[in-house]
Amino acid sequence: MRRRLRRLIRLVALGALVVWSLFPVYWALKTSLSTNAAAQQNPVQYFPAHPTGVSYQALFGAGPESADAVGGIGQALVNSVIEVTGATVLTLVIAVAAAYAFARLRFRLKGVIFYATIATLTLPVYATLIPLYRIMSDFGLVNTYIGIIFVYTSGFLPLALWIMYNVFLALPSSIEEAAHIDGASTLQTFGRIVIPTASPGIAATAIVTFLFGWGQFLFPLVLSSSNSTEPLTVLLAAIDSRNAPFTVINAAAIVAIAIPAIIVFFLNRWIITGITAGSVK
Amino acid sequence: MIAPLVVFIGVLALYPTVLTIIEAFFHIDPLTPPDHFAGFGNFSALFADAQVRQSIENSAWYIVFGVVLIVVLGTAIGLLLRRPFRGRGIILAILILPWALPGVVEGVIWSWIYNPTFGVLNSFLKSLRLIGQYQLFIGSHQIETIFLITLVQVWQITPLAAIIVLAALQSIPNDLYEAASVDGASGGRATWTITLPLIRPALAIVSVEALIMSLNIFDQVYVLNANAGTGASLMSTTYFLTFQDLNFGAGYALSLMATVCTVIISLVIYRIIYRKVEFS
Repeated sequence: MRRRLRRLIRLVALGALVVWSLFPVYWALKTSLSTNAAAQQNPVQYFPAHPTGVSYQALFGAGPESADAVGGIGQALVNSVIEVTGATVLTLVIAVAAAYAFARLRFRLKGVIFYATIATLTLPVYATLIPLYRIMSDFGLVNTYIGIIFVYTSGFLPLALWIMYNVFLALPSSIEEAAHIDGASTLQTFGRIVIPTASPGIAATAIVTFLFGWGQFLFPLVLSSSNSTEPLTVLLAAIDSRNAPFTVINAAAIVAIAIPAIIVFFLNRWIITGITAGSVK
Repeated sequence: MIAPLVVFIGVLALYPTVLTIIEAFFHIDPLTPPDHFAGFGNFSALFADAQVRQSIENSAWYIVFGVVLIVVLGTAIGLLLRRPFRGRGIILAILILPWALPGVVEGVIWSWIYNPTFGVLNSFLKSLRLIGQYQLFIGSHQIETIFLITLVQVWQITPLAAIIVLAALQSIPNDLYEAASVDGASGGRATWTITLPLIRPALAIVSVEALIMSLNIFDQVYVLNANAGTGASLMSTTYFLTFQDLNFGAGYALSLMATVCTVIISLVIYRIIYRKVEFS
């Protein structure tokens, strides 16, 4: 009897967890597929009676509702993809090389540089936001792809370095030593042996970094809010404040979460690996 | 191999931090340089500003609600998912979804849930007869506004806490529980006396993470509260002071205070909770 009760409580808790995690996303999706009139019914309908794609048509400029208030989502999607992919690739290249050096080589100031980098993980946004804006505007890098990619990279590097450092520490160095004895150069060993064996860790780091980048809002709001460089997050906040039809705003929200949601759906194991590797010790 | 790292961290993380520390003591007018040394002028001006004082108080609430909810819910979910069961993989995927989504999008999604005229929260509460008529949830009461905005961030950050706690729980050797049940400790008591003390390092990490997130809360506030005083956070006030009022000196001073607060509170949490645990 007591065991049954416990099982029941567990099931209810798991059900609550699923509803809590999914409901807001479901609600935005349902709203985006409703007409404005249907979405404003009182009391609400929990399921869309007649799903429609008009909000998405309006959003991408094909439908009659299309107005300037909701324009620019195609460009913003492109901007997000370019900026986040660029920052992820740059972060990974720099972090993998540096993490390998920290894990395997000896050089002067190694400890100082490593801990100074990791320490920036605990710096709040406050510490760097305003100076970064001034530095970027001094170099004419405000509202450019390269400017925002550089700022993202500096922000994502410490975590990527930390995860990759732990990945390399966990790999046995004996294979690399054997390759060296067989006459392989350091670069060959790195490219042919180290990178392939570390690739699960690299993939996890890349996915976590990409998701971080996709969610950025404050930095691009300050550093890249022109139409030509603003990411989806900045555009969505702008649409939201312009009194666009709210079904269309919800459609824009769904467009902005589509890519991370797909990543979670297919690659969730890697995300958990990445989070766990980033938090150990 | 480390040169690019040194350049990026040096120029775009450490140098700006030093600038924040220095510039907080200067009077800055972007239109009429150069900057003048102001001593503690920026700081005393801040404390004279009612809006700033309000946002400091608000951020204290954001921290209290945020840290408590994230740590408690994260630990509870970690415990719930500790033992393997059929479908756990799917539950984990569902669990991390909110963490992977942009905070600003979550703010927008929840703003419609909280909507005073046709929001689902109003409809739901009314159908349960918990409220007589539709309410204005955001913007009428300070504490209520802050709590509901925090809830959006809790929705986002709790999965991270749960995953970290779960990883720590799974590293606890099983024979410890067997020994405990031989000694007569079971269920809830074993959790309190054995499990939680053993995952102290994870709880410390989760607490500090929740603290930093709560002190930095911006995206959700920007969307749900804009620049109203009711729910203004330290970060949103810093943003509006600096980039809307162009009061860079005040922005720097507030930034420096928030940075120092973060470091101090993080260290205190670590000292209280963190104990190195070794399984031999």
